[in-house]
Amino acid sequence: MSVKETVLKQDPPCTSTLGNYLWRDPPQESKWADCVHCGMCLESCPTYEQTGEEQQSPRGRVYLIKAVAEGKLFVDEHFADPVFSCLDCRACTTACPVDVDVGGLIEEARGQIRQSMPLKGWKKTVNRFFLHGVFPHHNRLNSIGTLLRFYQKSGLQKVVRKTKLINIMPKHLREMESIMPEVKSCVHKKYDSVIKANGETKHEVSLLTGCVMDVFFSDINESTITVLTRNGNDVCIPRNQTCCGALHVHAGDREMGRKLAKQNIEAFENAETVIVNAAGCGCMMKEYTELFRDDPEWKKRAESFEEKVVDISKYLHDTGYEKPKAMLKTRITYHDACHLAHGQGVRQEPRDILLDIPGVEMVHMPKADSCCGSAGIYNLTHPEMADAVLKSKMENVPDDVEMISMGNPGCMMQMALGVQKYGRNQKIVHTVQLLDWAYQKEERGSSHGSPKD
Amino acid sequence: MAVLKINTTDKHIINLANIVDGPRTILYKKADLLAYDCDGFTIHKHLPKAVVFPKSTEEVSKLVKYCSDNGLPFLARGAGTGLSGGAIPINGEVIISMVRMKKLISIDLANRRAVVEPGFVNLKLTNSISDKGYYYAPDPSSQYCCTIGGNVAENAGGAHCLKYGVTTNHILGLEVVLPNGEIVEIGRNGVLDEPGYDLLGLITGSEGTLGIVTKITVRILKNPEGKQTVLAYFDKVEDGSQAVSDIISAGIVPAALEMMDKIAIEAVEAAAFPVGHPKDIEAVLLIEVDGIAAGIEEQVNQILEVCRKRNVREVRAAKDEAERERWWANRKTGFGAMGAISPDYLVQDGVIPRSKLPEVLSKISQISKVSGLRIANIFHAGDGNLHPLVLFDARKPGEIDKALEAGSACLKACADVGGTITGEHGVGIEKREEMRFVFKDEEIRAQTNIREVFNPNNLLNAGKLFPTPGRCVEIKKELKSLS
Repeated sequence: MSVKETVLKQDPPCTSTLGNYLWRDPPQESKWADCVHCGMCLESCPTYEQTGEEQQSPRGRVYLIKAVAEGKLFVDEHFADPVFSCLDCRACTTACPVDVDVGGLIEEARGQIRQSMPLKGWKKTVNRFFLHGVFPHHNRLNSIGTLLRFYQKSGLQKVVRKTKLINIMPKHLREMESIMPEVKSCVHKKYDSVIKANGETKHEVSLLTGCVMDVFFSDINESTITVLTRNGNDVCIPRNQTCCGALHVHAGDREMGRKLAKQNIEAFENAETVIVNAAGCGCMMKEYTELFRDDPEWKKRAESFEEKVVDISKYLHDTGYEKPKAMLKTRITYHDACHLAHGQGVRQEPRDILLDIPGVEMVHMPKADSCCGSAGIYNLTHPEMADAVLKSKMENVPDDVEMISMGNPGCMMQMALGVQKYGRNQKIVHTVQLLDWAYQKEERGSSHGSPKD
Repeated sequence: MAVLKINTTDKHIINLANIVDGPRTILYKKADLLAYDCDGFTIHKHLPKAVVFPKSTEEVSKLVKYCSDNGLPFLARGAGTGLSGGAIPINGEVIISMVRMKKLISIDLANRRAVVEPGFVNLKLTNSISDKGYYYAPDPSSQYCCTIGGNVAENAGGAHCLKYGVTTNHILGLEVVLPNGEIVEIGRNGVLDEPGYDLLGLITGSEGTLGIVTKITVRILKNPEGKQTVLAYFDKVEDGSQAVSDIISAGIVPAALEMMDKIAIEAVEAAAFPVGHPKDIEAVLLIEVDGIAAGIEEQVNQILEVCRKRNVREVRAAKDEAERERWWANRKTGFGAMGAISPDYLVQDGVIPRSKLPEVLSKISQISKVSGLRIANIFHAGDGNLHPLVLFDARKPGEIDKALEAGSACLKACADVGGTITGEHGVGIEKREEMRFVFKDEEIRAQTNIREVFNPNNLLNAGKLFPTPGRCVEIKKELKSLS
């Protein structure tokens, strides 16, 4: 569908347009103005590595985004393809000599595409169901969690797999099903809104429990709470918090992104520190200001909110934590989640935490900060590319390690898929879980064996 | 990313697509081609007819033969980081993209050579052999992403070429597809000094006008035992320039000897890899010595002393490898860093005798004043290879032309002192007319005669490297108005 057709069907809500961007909140000229087309970003880009195509590279994408603003190109499917095939991994921004915010441009461009070319048919239904119907609603997510738990515990999963009923799903979804983590009960239900520190309270912090995180990875939330309280933090879990909106913004639904951002800004209004244990969410929340460029009041609130957001590993590193005394004898490698390393500049902190655990031996992973292909729901929307990116990632995972540690649930799922698919046997863990296990082991006072196996 | 379905009535597109195996091997729709309308040189733009992605020499040969038989202009492109426009399809060429031919074919440590496909990225070669104690010497600043095939085409240089030489000094053998599709091998087995004409030297630096390189045998070197980098700040450009001459005169051959001026420093410090250079100095020198560990300290001391004699404000050696790497990252991203202080830039590539540095630099500053455009200088001072970066804003009417004029005037200044117009970026489109600063008409004709032997129909990368007849008078007029 071309832009012209769209214009006839529905008028854009705003008359101040930029070239062929017809909607409010277009990609910002100030973001691409610094790009001098030097190409230093090329090799950092996973989709360029796979395709070698200029328009599938950061430089090429920025060029096209600029071309639409200059009226040389229309917002159509040819433009949408390279813009949506970006993993939004931000490796290019790290490589760029002038920090061009390619990720920001991509998200703004997606916003324009989704308004000019709304999704249709089943894609629209699925998109709306998850992005509007599920993720922003704790209760519904919990219900899905309960269903999945039933699926896993009742034996239904076994039946479905055994009878090959599973084969009615497309290959990539089948693979996802096979690595679906065991669903446990979420911390939202389990804990009060405030969990007091063990001993004297040194700090008060608030925790983003996340949407999917609290269903599929509630054990990581539990570990986060345990580690925080053990280190003198009162942990508050504001009840009215919601999904961070990253998936919505990545999908071009900036309106929903704004709505969720406002709800979170309000929910955490009284918090001094907002702890996040999912890199993708942390990165999004640190960029809320981007969503309110045209709204001075909310922009201001978003700015002060952003300053409070901090990744769990950075928080522990900066405020100090008790070094565990028990030995966790294990060989580990660390994968940099894109939205932690490239998005938030957090690289050394999680590694330091791991090295502080007695008995942990760190093995270097080459290209540790290259994307694993998870990228939110990218592995669902672009399974082939996600798979190719995962394959390159797995080639860099050292052979002789027992665990791969990281700081993002999306990566954890994808890496688990990689381990299974490429016949590896590493356990996938969140950095904070390892610290928690070391503390647990210390408390149990045992001297050997690995916990939680 | 959708799998490509060919949906066109253009028989050439269909036929080209059929030559290459695999999915998504050709781009031909305008939106897909737009990103290929220029390379690292963004002033001239033109859409290609199509972009094809061969995976083997045979496919390249068939593509070339098809284009040649059907009178379609064509050219080869690597990563598209070239700075003189060598890969810009000014005649609506079929672009043969070499980026999917990116294998490291073999490493032969005993004979110190490696064989790579042209799309293999420069730095990846060093990364692949560094654990064994070897490296590939030519290190253009774009080495993170530029391809070795492109390096061969442009005879690329780099910071460390002062001691180790440019690309041509490291090429031992080439497999080339000639413009009629024939596949030839030059410099068989990487044996030095083949009898007959030096065809390796001819192909290397021919800017993709004589053939398309499909396999490259390069020399690899043993890592130097020791290495040290010195940083020196000068309050006067003249003092910095003199120090450069003094270091070389003292008999030291640094691995690299780099200089940045005040505007360049402003840019790199405003960009992503700042190291804290003072803003008020006129010149910073980066001097690296390498070799047998025992001699390094003495050389460093000599360099420190030379700099002090030339009124250096501050001079010191890197305290560790991390600091050394920071200094180099700051320098090597220098061109891209211009984006932090200017929307566009045009980089020039003149070469001059070292002793003429102060003279030419002051001329460049005059050119800047006359044109009203700022000009930053980042250069390989050791071998007299200047990179004046003319800063401009393409959105302002007339600024592109002004920048081109100023760039050309800088090259004239280089040629006038006995230098030349390109050290490592190539002539491409950008410096075609400036070739007349250094060659007479008959000298240019002698060279185009050579081209005709290889590329008689001039379908391969036409319009590059040599001036178009008749533009000479206009250029001279423009220059007159500037000076």
